[in-house]
Formats: sequence, C-alpha cells, structure tokens
Amino acid sequence: MRLCKNCGSSDIDVDQSRGDAVCMGCGSVLEDNIIVSEVQFMESSGGGASQAVGQFVSRDDGGKNPTFGEGYYTGSGRESRAQTLANAKRNIQALGRGLQMNQHCLDTAYNFYKMALNKHLTCGRKSSHVLAACLYLVCRTEGTPHMLLDLSDLLQVNVYILGRTFLVLARELCINAPAIDPCLYIPRFAQLLEFGDKNREVTMTALRLVQRMKRDWMHTGRRPAGLCGAALLVAARMHDFRRTSKEIISVVKVCEATLRKRLTEFEDTPTSAMTCEEFMKADLDHDECDPPSFQNGLRNKKMKQLEVELEKKMDDVKDEIEDYQDEIDTELERCRPKLRGVYAAYTKEDAFHPKNQFKDSDSDDDDMDPEVDEELLAVAQHFGKELNELTMEALKKLEESPSAKGEEDDDQEGCRPSLESILGPMPTAASLGLKENMDCLGEENDGDADDGELDLNGIDDDEIECYLLDDGEVKIKTALWMAQNSDYLKEQKEKEARIAKEKELGIYKEKKQRKKGTRRAPIRASTGQEAIEKLLEQKRFSSKINYDVLKDLNIKPVSSPAEPQDGATETPRKPVIRNRRSTHMPLSLATPLTSLGKRLKPFITGQPAKRLALDQIFSGNPLAQSNEVPPSSVVVESGPVVESGPVLESGPVVYDDADEEEEDEDEPCVSAMDLMGSNDYGNDDEDGF
Amino acid sequence: MDSSNDEALDIIITNVVATFRTRCHLNLRTIALEGINVIYKPEVGKVLMKLRKPKITASIWSSGKIICTGATSEDDAKLGARRLARCLQKLGFRVRFSDFKVVNVLAVCSMPFAVHLVDFTNNNRPIASYEPELHPAATYRIKTLKATVQVFSTGSITVTGPNVQAVATAVEHIYPLLFEVQKPKHRKD
Repeated sequence: MRLCKNCGSSDIDVDQSRGDAVCMGCGSVLEDNIIVSEVQFMESSGGGASQAVGQFVSRDDGGKNPTFGEGYYTGSGRESRAQTLANAKRNIQALGRGLQMNQHCLDTAYNFYKMALNKHLTCGRKSSHVLAACLYLVCRTEGTPHMLLDLSDLLQVNVYILGRTFLVLARELCINAPAIDPCLYIPRFAQLLEFGDKNREVTMTALRLVQRMKRDWMHTGRRPAGLCGAALLVAARMHDFRRTSKEIISVVKVCEATLRKRLTEFEDTPTSAMTCEEFMKADLDHDECDPPSFQNGLRNKKMKQLEVELEKKMDDVKDEIEDYQDEIDTELERCRPKLRGVYAAYTKEDAFHPKNQFKDSDSDDDDMDPEVDEELLAVAQHFGKELNELTMEALKKLEESPSAKGEEDDDQEGCRPSLESILGPMPTAASLGLKENMDCLGEENDGDADDGELDLNGIDDDEIECYLLDDGEVKIKTALWMAQNSDYLKEQKEKEARIAKEKELGIYKEKKQRKKGTRRAPIRASTGQEAIEKLLEQKRFSSKINYDVLKDLNIKPVSSPAEPQDGATETPRKPVIRNRRSTHMPLSLATPLTSLGKRLKPFITGQPAKRLALDQIFSGNPLAQSNEVPPSSVVVESGPVVESGPVLESGPVVYDDADEEEEDEDEPCVSAMDLMGSNDYGNDDEDGF
Repeated sequence: MDSSNDEALDIIITNVVATFRTRCHLNLRTIALEGINVIYKPEVGKVLMKLRKPKITASIWSSGKIICTGATSEDDAKLGARRLARCLQKLGFRVRFSDFKVVNVLAVCSMPFAVHLVDFTNNNRPIASYEPELHPAATYRIKTLKATVQVFSTGSITVTGPNVQAVATAVEHIYPLLFEVQKPKHRKD
C-alpha cells in the first residue's frame, strides 16, 4: 500500500469523487485532481434515458486530440503514423469510388494496408502502388470482377509494376488470392457490350463457352480477359448480334492478335464443329483436349522431323544437281568474253583475297598484319580528313575512290569484297586461329591460388593476343569511338567547364551523394548488457529525447532487476535509471499537469499509456519506445495513473547526483532528467513537504 | 536426373552467371580502345566484352568488379573468367583473380506431360504463385535451396538457382509435385 511521505502511515483515503488522496495520519494531501477512469452517466436530451459520457475514439485513427488546459500547444500536430493512415484511408476511398467498390471492400483494403504498414512493406514503394495492390488483393479475395488493368488505368502505372507489388504483398501477408476465373468477367463485359434484352442469354452462352474452353485447356497461362473476349464474340454472333472485334477489344482490353489467336484455337477444338443448338443442349462432356501450346510443340516437333527427312532426300538430289552445275559453269566460261588488261588484274585480286584469308589463318596474325595495315592506313588517312561521316557507306566510298580506275561495275565488285576483307579477316582469322588452339586446350585444371594469382593453366597466350588490337588499329578505333560518342564527350566537357566556372564563383555545390543506407558495424560485446547499451548508442528510437544527455548519465547497470528485465523486454532499454528519491515522486504527481508547461505537453498527449501499463514494473523508457507503439489518443482517459504516472515518473529510475546539472543544455528535446522531476524544473518552490 | 521414372529428364543448363574481382582499378577507356569485341557504355560506366571461346559476355566496371554471363557450365564460366583476366593483364593492368563466385545458374527442363497450373498452385500455396494476368507460368520458390522454378502449362520448366547442384535438387524436388497434377495426354495427332 502506499505510504504517506510525511508520517509514513499507510492509511490513505482516496476519494474518487473529489479526486483527492489524503493521508489520514497527518492530514497531508498527497494527490489532488486525480485522473479517474470511471464511466459517468447523464441523462440524454431525447428520452431522458441514461447515456454514458465520453467519446469513442478509434485506436489508430488518432484524429482529434483533446487539447487540455492550454490550447496553444496542441501536441506535435498529429503523429506521423496517424497521418499516414488517414491519408491512406482517403486515397483508398478515392480509388474505390473510381472502381465502384462497396464500402466493405474498401474497409478490408484499409485493413490490409494497416497490416502492410506494420510489416514495413510500404518502405521504398510508392504509396499509390501499395494502395492499389491492397485494393486488388481485396478484389481477388472477394471475387469482384476488377482487373489489375483497371487499377493501372486509373493510376496510369505499368501493370507489371503493380503486379510485382501485389505479389510481394500477397506473399508477405500470407494471403492466398484465389485464381482468377474468367467466368467472373463475363457479366461485366457483357454489360459493357450492351446486349439489351438478350443480355442474360448471351451471358449464359458465353459462360458455357468459357467452361468448355477451360475443359479444353485453353485457359491455362492465358489472360482471362482474352478468353472472355473470344467467348463473347462467338456468343454474340450466335445470338445474331453484330459485334465487331474492335468493339470487343475496346471493352476487354486485349489486342486484336490475341483475340484472333484465341478464336483460332477455339476453332481447333471439336466444340467449334457443333451448331448453336447442339452446343446449348449438349452436355459438355466430350474429351478434353491438349493445351494449344502443347499441340504447337508437338506440331513443331513433327515439322522438324519432316524437315530432317527431306534434307536427307535433298542430299541425294544435290549431288546430281552439282554435277550439272559444274558442267553449265564451264560452258558459260567458255562463252563469256574475256576481260583484258587492267580488269583482269581486278578479277585476279578478287580471287586473291579470299584465298588470302585462309592462308593467313593458318599462320600467325603477324603475317597478315602488314597487308592489313596498308589498307587500314589508307582508311586512317581518310579518317583524318573526314571525321564527320563515319558510316559504313562513307568508309566504302573512301575505299572506292582511290581504287576506282575503270568501269564501275567491275571496280565495285572488286572493291567491296576488299572492304569486307579488311573488317572481315581480323575476326575470321581470330576464330580460325582459335579453332586450332582449341585442341591444345584439351585438359585444363583450374587451380587458382587463393591469394589471387591468376592461374595461367590452359590459357593460351597467343589466343589472348587475338583479343587485343594493335597500335595502328588502336588509333583507328580511337578515332571511330570519338566520332561515335562525340555528343557524350561534348556534354562531359561542358559539364566540366560549368563546374570550373562555379568553383571560381564559389557557388559550386558538391553533387549530393545519396547515402546508401548507412551500414552499421556489427556490435561486439561480451555480455548482453553491453550489447544492448552499444546498440542503444547507435540506434535512436525517438526524436523527442536528447540521447546525448542520457548517454552522459553514468551508466550503472544494476544486476538483479536488470537481468529479468532484460530478458523480459525484448526492446532495448536505456541504461537503468533508478528512482533516486521517493521524495520527488509525489512531487511530480502532485503538480497539476497543466502547470508543467510546454516542455511536457508532448509527452502528455503523445505518450502511449498502454505501453506504460505493461512496462510499469520495468519502467525503462516509455520515451524510448514511442516509435514502436501504435499511438493511442487515449492517454489521458485510460490507465491507472496512480501506479504508473503516465509520463512523469516511470518506476525505478536512477541517476547520479553529479550529473544532474547537465540537463540544462538540451533545448528542444526534453531529457529524461527533467521529466523525472529534477529540481531545476521549477518545483523547487513547492518543495515544502 | 530422374526420380523414380523410366525416362531420364534432360536438364539443360542455359546460362551461368559468375562474378570476380581484379583487385585493381581498371581504366575503361583503355580497355574500350584496345580490345576487340568491346562495347563501352560511358553513361552507365561499364565495358561489355565478349569472348568467343567459352561464349561469354563480361561486364567490366572500373572498380575491378567483373560479371560474366552466358557460360553454359560452371567450369566454362571459370575458364572464361580466367581468360578475361589474362586479357586484361595483357592490356597492362595488374590484375589478380580473386573472389570468383558463381552467382546464378539457369536451366530448362521439359516434362513429358502437360501440367495443370491452377491445381498445382492450389496444392502448393503459398510457395507457388500464379498470376495469369502477369505471366503465363506459375512460380514456385524453394526457400531452402534458394531456387525458383517457373512451370509452364506445356510441362516445360525453367529453374534458377545459386549453383548446379541446387538446380538439380530443385528439379527432383518438384518432379513429384508436377506429376500429381499432370494432364494426361491423349488425342492422336
């Protein structure tokens, strides 16, 4: 029981109606204006029946915080969490109205959102995406005919992005959304297609069609909307409605090709052979078909087999044909007029180059280089002149001009291959060279030394050489690259110039480096206690506490209460601060809350009293945990104040006398010191007990 | 690798992704200008180099981190990576071949039967997920192996996992599940 501070008697009279706690021994008033949690009744205006006094306040909606006593400082505005929730609710309502969803669905969506918020799934995602995903989740669980496409239409967001968010949500919240049934969409689309009186019949027909399609395995892996479109088209035609595919597409939101494909697939099924009456009457009982993609696969396989067989036959025929070809060629040659003089040289050159390629491939690259170099140098010269036009055609033209001497036809024939042979031979030679080296790379052991030395086993140096360009080649490539990326390089130069100018003017701002989520170093500590303390040093829970001051408090961990408390509360606690003098306790309690002034108001309105009730024994820091506990606006009205003063004192709190004076520095934040009723807080005068 | 079945299932590895570090700073411009088969992307800040023999494509960053993709086996990937390092060495950088790690292996496999995806998803919630609006395959994630299997209605599956062994195990794991929901094939062609 409580003891009176003055006389030590345990006989204390608590009068709830007056709100007093008075010691019967010495008569001192221990408490005044006790906050009680009784329910009051009064007569209601209408019939005179009794009604309870009070407001219902929702746990999470926060909303209207009661301002008590002074109204000039009404807490720190609404808490962030409450605002987030209020925003979410508003947006869900707006979205839902656009989709014409009923209130029950919207409420469920709001609940999903709250769950997501608690699991921190909203971090890093656009809130609109998360809201849309919650809504879609509701649609799926309730079975409403809303498609993800509708939502993405409303939000103008890519469907797949929404889909990704939706999948993550569904997985994290462990909500199994039932698979979409195309039958769900039929009535909705039928409405939009305006079948008038016959709406119901067309819908029924379409439904039967879809069911048949399902049996025929047309629906696995396909967008349900596409199936619906095909079914509706056929159903409409069956009932003599002329709905063109364009109309269907605009309603169903698939493209024409998809619709056509579904219709073709449907055509393949035996159902399509039935007439309308047969279809309506017959029981859809006949055999199921294989899925269309499976059929396609089989068909492809068969085609391939046929091709193989054909090829074999072709080979036989080919030999014959080749014989004939050779004969014809020789004849033609004899008949063709022979080229004279210069032109002969060109034809020879033509024949020379391909042979050259093969010859060089057998030897090293070096042999080929001199020849290639000449041509490349020629190209490079031209490069020096004309850096602007660097297209293949330009190169070709450059090639052609020096060597054009005679008639164009022959020359072009002679020149073009040579150009290709420039750009050709290097890679081809390399590949052919590689082929040779492949043999010597038969067995390789990959024994890399762990210290990072590159094990050259099995790596042929010559082959690697192929990968590297030569000096001359480097120059050419540099020129090519510069020309190609001239835009980018210009931008870079401009940027540098700009930065230099700004530096001179002294207004250069370093480009903001986005901090990539500071990684915390792993905490090394020998005991749990130390670990927790270190963690607390790094991690900051509340913006309302000046942690530096708390840190300065001499940390004297007390073993016995600390251990069970540490074990019990998972959340880290501040260094155990113990109640140093009970004299101050009644002091704090006795002072009316209103007289505490600004500093403590935030704590009064913002504090989660429920948490306190739990932690009252452990105390620790209600302050430190404000982030993790859902805000409740019921601080003032709930919680037995007597045992756990909501804010002002929280059980065992200890601090050294020496460090008391330090709390003066902390300004906007309130330190625990102050709250614990330290002397400087203006209670000195009342220290008359 | 088959599991209690007559025919053996062919698991074909189509892609192996591996990373390694050269532990030295690389000048991308030099590589771009002096190497064959390189594409320099200055906006992104990397160089793509393609090797022909183990057919791989490597993304090279200036910090010295290199990602190799396109190999068809783990050994191939390692060989390709070493080739690449050797190539860079020849260009004049002091490269060391360290931290080679195969990051991802992608394989395809084909079941001899078609699969009923909706039943498959219903049997295996929540490990399996199927969204026909988004993707035609059902995704099955095996947490223990860190592997993902995508099942198509034709019966072909693609498996991605951290190494070849995991992929093989995943196929074995999923085979019985698919067998349950198979679509019996009939229908003469």
